[in-house]
Amino acid sequence: MFSVIKATFVRNTIAMYRAYPWSFFLGHILTGVYTVLFAYFTYTYVFKGSLDPRFKIYAGSNDYLSYVILGGALYSFAVSTLMNVSRSLITEYREGTLEGLLISPFSRKGYFIGNVTQQIMRTSLEFIIIVTFGLIFGLDLSKINIFGAILIWVLSIFSFFCQALFLGSIMLYFRDTYISQNTLFFIMSFVSGVTFPVAYLPDWIKPLSYIMPLFPSLTMFRSVVIEGQLISLHINDVIHLLVLSITYLFIGSISIKHMEKRIIEQHY
Amino acid sequence: MLIVNDVSKIYRTKQRLGWFKSEWQENIAVNNLSFKVEPGQIVGLLGINGAGKTTTIKMCSTLLEPSSGTIFVDGMDIVKNDKKVKSIVNMIAGGERMLYWKLTAKENLRYFGSLYGLKEAELDHRITSLLREVGLDIKSNIPVEQFSKGMKQRLQIARGLINNPKYLFLDEPTLGLDASIAKHLRNYVKELAKEKGKAIILTSHYMKEVEELCDEVLIIDKGSLVMQDKPERLTNLFFKENTLKITVSEIPDSLHTKLNNEISQNKGTWQIQSTDDDEYDLIIKSEKDMTNSIVSLLAYHNLRILNIVSEKPSLEDVILLMSERTSA
Repeated sequence: MFSVIKATFVRNTIAMYRAYPWSFFLGHILTGVYTVLFAYFTYTYVFKGSLDPRFKIYAGSNDYLSYVILGGALYSFAVSTLMNVSRSLITEYREGTLEGLLISPFSRKGYFIGNVTQQIMRTSLEFIIIVTFGLIFGLDLSKINIFGAILIWVLSIFSFFCQALFLGSIMLYFRDTYISQNTLFFIMSFVSGVTFPVAYLPDWIKPLSYIMPLFPSLTMFRSVVIEGQLISLHINDVIHLLVLSITYLFIGSISIKHMEKRIIEQHY
Repeated sequence: MLIVNDVSKIYRTKQRLGWFKSEWQENIAVNNLSFKVEPGQIVGLLGINGAGKTTTIKMCSTLLEPSSGTIFVDGMDIVKNDKKVKSIVNMIAGGERMLYWKLTAKENLRYFGSLYGLKEAELDHRITSLLREVGLDIKSNIPVEQFSKGMKQRLQIARGLINNPKYLFLDEPTLGLDASIAKHLRNYVKELAKEKGKAIILTSHYMKEVEELCDEVLIIDKGSLVMQDKPERLTNLFFKENTLKITVSEIPDSLHTKLNNEISQNKGTWQIQSTDDDEYDLIIKSEKDMTNSIVSLLAYHNLRILNIVSEKPSLEDVILLMSERTSA
């Protein structure tokens, strides 16, 4: 399995380097940067720094800029991971390499871990740049619980990876990437508490929040980064995230194998 | 040995009947097919389009599961032991698929080799020798997107051999290639079977390729096996006659009787056709090749022979005939 992880990592890195110029990398960062700038300007010039009194109750902090900047950064990270891992097999199909892959006794785990590892290398750099940029515009890291933040970050990668397997099988089913991923990303950004607490949402939408790993992930990440809280205070969120991850992993692993067969059969 | 035993493949496809209406349709791509391939043997799969050749190859190479029946490779069931079977089979398809265009030839082979779990040292050795064998050693560090069609096809062959498979499935391997490159590939395929003992199944639209390479040919029609034999025996089975066409400047009437006697003795038929250039084509159809006797007869009568064409029936004629019978 390790040789497949390494080979997929190297393959993707080379292909990315040759296929995409620096502008592709910059494009990803700019999305996060725009979120930071949008939050800063609306908070400073539109709302004049005043917040709805319910915000502190719902968010557990009245540091709106840190709230939004971290939300934007982790959302960008989630989107990049989801997008690239879920698209891996449909990209193989479109580029005509899926049969070459499926005819070999390759380790699926190794293949997807190789994809996500390469992805993490790039998106982590993007994440760091967005957070650094956020520091200029009011992100406060003075109370950060660094070990807690790293642990949640690792758990989040695992959960986004599991969700990506599920999304990947949907993409293979519909042979579409654009509508599937953008629909999910739109819903994720709206219901996961990226720019405002989920508590503001009407009750009938809230169930959607609970099936998005980004929601518990963001709740915990903000608490340990902004307030410096211990993870032990968020055991329910950890369990929530793990249950979602395992559910997506289970459904995704089965469905993606099923979809591989389906796509080969439909292509006869 | 590869043993295909009573295998069928049924595809279920959804047919749209309107905006909100659709129904499932079943399409039998392969129907109770059975055959065997031994090491060192090249077996051709022939048939008109939609005969089920590619589906058969995909099932043998583990890409598709049979709907019924069994396929055993070296005694292993391809469904139950798919990982083990995958490690000893490979497929080479025509066209420019199955390669990463952004990677170089070497990087492609390294990636595919890693999928088979090959160790670094073994992989290095195999990549070097395969690239040399397909003549891409000096282009090994150029991204595939800069390769010509022929170079991509040669790299495909190297990819298909990266795991040193015992069973190789070739689906239109020379599709769209220049004649010289195709010839080179055919020689290489023959070498793989005869000298390296690989069992090869080949599908091709080029009948001459099949005639040249295959020890045995399976003719499939609508998923069912209709014929299985050596290429030359298949043609003999369908076509008893050879056609000999000799162009001469004149044929005196006095020669007609002698020609008639000679050809009748060999149970043949003949006719004379005048051409636009005021020449004559003597067309003889007979079971036995009569080139020598007729040329001798014409030479004895001092006739100037302008051209000789001896036409033997080919596999292509067999397929065309079968196709005509099917559509009739």
